[in-house]
Amino acid sequence: MSTVTAESQAAAGHLPGRGRTARSRLARRRRRAGILLSLPAVVVVVALLGIPIGQAVYYSMTTWNGLTSTWIGPSAYSTALSDPTFWRVLENNALLLLSIPFAIGIPLGIAWLLHEHVRGWRFFRSVYFLPTAVSWVVIGMVAVQFFALQGLLNKMLSAVGLGSFQTNALAGQRSALVALAITFIWSMLGTNVIIFLTGMATLDPTLIEAARVDGLNRRQIFWRVTLPLLRRFVQFSFVITVISAFSALFSLIFVMTNGGPGFGTTTLEFFVYQAAFALGEFGTGALYGIILFVIMIVVGLVQLRLIRSAEGEGW
Amino acid sequence: MRRWTLVAGVAVTAMIATACGSSGGGGGSGSTSAPVTLTIWHNYGTEQNATALQNLAKAFEKIHKNVTVNVVSQPATNYFALLQAAAVSKTGPDLAVMWTGLFTIQYKDFLVNLKGKVPAADFARIDPSALKWTSDRFNATNGPYVVPLENQFYIGFYNKADFAKAGVTSVPTDWSQLFAACAKLKAAGYLPLTYGNGGQPLGAEFYPWYDMSYMMIGAHPLSSWLQLYSGQLPWTSPVNAAQLNTWSKLHSSGCTNSDVLTKTNNLGDFETGKAAMMVDGTWDTAKFTGALGSKVAAFVPPFSNTPINGVVDFSGDGLSMTTYAAHPTQALQFLEFMTTPQAAGIINAAGLIPAIKGTSTSNPVNQEMLNFVSQDHMTVYPMLDNVVQPNVVNTGSKVLPSVLNGSISPSSALSSLQSTLGQLPSNQRGNSYP
Repeated sequence: MSTVTAESQAAAGHLPGRGRTARSRLARRRRRAGILLSLPAVVVVVALLGIPIGQAVYYSMTTWNGLTSTWIGPSAYSTALSDPTFWRVLENNALLLLSIPFAIGIPLGIAWLLHEHVRGWRFFRSVYFLPTAVSWVVIGMVAVQFFALQGLLNKMLSAVGLGSFQTNALAGQRSALVALAITFIWSMLGTNVIIFLTGMATLDPTLIEAARVDGLNRRQIFWRVTLPLLRRFVQFSFVITVISAFSALFSLIFVMTNGGPGFGTTTLEFFVYQAAFALGEFGTGALYGIILFVIMIVVGLVQLRLIRSAEGEGW
Repeated sequence: MRRWTLVAGVAVTAMIATACGSSGGGGGSGSTSAPVTLTIWHNYGTEQNATALQNLAKAFEKIHKNVTVNVVSQPATNYFALLQAAAVSKTGPDLAVMWTGLFTIQYKDFLVNLKGKVPAADFARIDPSALKWTSDRFNATNGPYVVPLENQFYIGFYNKADFAKAGVTSVPTDWSQLFAACAKLKAAGYLPLTYGNGGQPLGAEFYPWYDMSYMMIGAHPLSSWLQLYSGQLPWTSPVNAAQLNTWSKLHSSGCTNSDVLTKTNNLGDFETGKAAMMVDGTWDTAKFTGALGSKVAAFVPPFSNTPINGVVDFSGDGLSMTTYAAHPTQALQFLEFMTTPQAAGIINAAGLIPAIKGTSTSNPVNQEMLNFVSQDHMTVYPMLDNVVQPNVVNTGSKVLPSVLNGSISPSSALSSLQSTLGQLPSNQRGNSYP
């Protein structure tokens, strides 16, 4: 049998009378203080994000050109979704996602080699980090020269006797998209190599040593020990790369192909720009922007789901 | 208390005086003697139009000693976006280069209708057919938004020496003659027809609407062009598809350079005589006559099964005053100056064809173009891209170059144009121009 003391009741919040009143008053004051203290941040977020997003949703259903607007309503969305060009653009986005495994796998392999301290690893570490230090505009301009008909790629093919494979990569719809994807993979190389190198540096060397003692060779250690331990870094890299593929390719596309040939390399992000700033249809631009926003939310939720389920958690 | 009242009274008086002073000096609308900087934006790059505009500005400054004209070159690829963004924030220029036709109508929300602003006597000096394309419903009586700078031709240029050496004795006037000329030129070691994004660098690829204009001239009478706007004549019509199909054979038969989509030095090819023909416009005439002298001549791109009988002669651009111009008085004075014989002389000296009645061109190649109309009695057509919806133009600019390259089929490209047209609200594809 336990004795219920006034202190324990007060601690549990069960005590009637003066103590309870004082406690609830304190709680109210704390709550009020919390609201007041968080209010500036809420106001800033609403002002800088909420209102513009709300405006974008509104303008997406108008023919706003920056000066005048006419209300169309939700039918603006059904009109946009019935546009075959829109679906062609989304197809490009989907195809670019196929480059994600390469944009993660290649840096992972390179990071592993560097971590293994192959000869000249310090030099190569700097070399592989280089793309991160170079502007995407510059990368795009270099890529244009590389893939051009008279460019380095075709000269290299010719030099090794593969002249018959020479092509004007940027002149074909699919080949231009492949060229764009390759450039994107290269652009992400430095960032992802550094992420994985950092991850590998955090690994407990005794685990590797234990695996070695257990008789695992280098490859087995990588697959069975290193990679599972790097899971969080791979997830982080995956998130960064997917977001970049959707929303950071603008400068590469602008410099390399301007979305062409045809709509061959136009992504949804570039389509937003085209609508708003090439045609001056800010309302249509807002509409595509909202669609991109929704897609990014869905992609983010799917990523979260995958990550959580890999960790044995639900949503 | 009395002292505070006195101080407040002085302060209010000072503020009123300051406000009056700033409105007189800064606005420039009332005073014509205070120093004023007039800002003009253009998208001419290094074309002859840029030279003409700079020289017009200098001449205007000599007449109006208190005015300094700041001519700002903006990138051509997103010029209109910049102009529109500047209009939203009212931070743009007093005057801006504006394309005519539906481009003017698209941006008229921030352009001043000049009816009653520029004296009618000044407008009377301008080619009336030039003024109509800058007015609502393409009717000059509604008042123009643009004072045209020049009359432009989309036109072909050819190298007479290359033609002679290749044994091409007459200028081609239809598709079959063009392909025959190509074969001879190719056999003689010349690149028959060069394509690239030089000239008017409006995008990463060449601008296809010069060629498209002539393909539609070859396919339809002038009266049918409005039907392309309204959709009554579908872009996907078999005759259009046939025209594009023949056009694409220029590339597949080796009549053009292989890298039509990525070449940037097509002007260089023509100026050095390596290429024998090029489809371009009057803005590069002076450049070509400067490089090739009497070897260069004009021809009408013969994109027709029968002898081509129409030519694109259109006042494609000029200057507009913005609704938010900081110096409207001086801006209007500049526009009035553009209608004078002195301005016509400056425009002509830059190698362009003034859009002013009674003036002539001293460039012999430009004169050849005028002769197509005055002597050969060819039908005058507008620039197709100025009389079809900008959205359709934008789609065409993306897909049509790939038709020539062979990477998009004519039917697919035309379907894209038709689809773009179909996406527009009905008030943008009516039976009359807006």
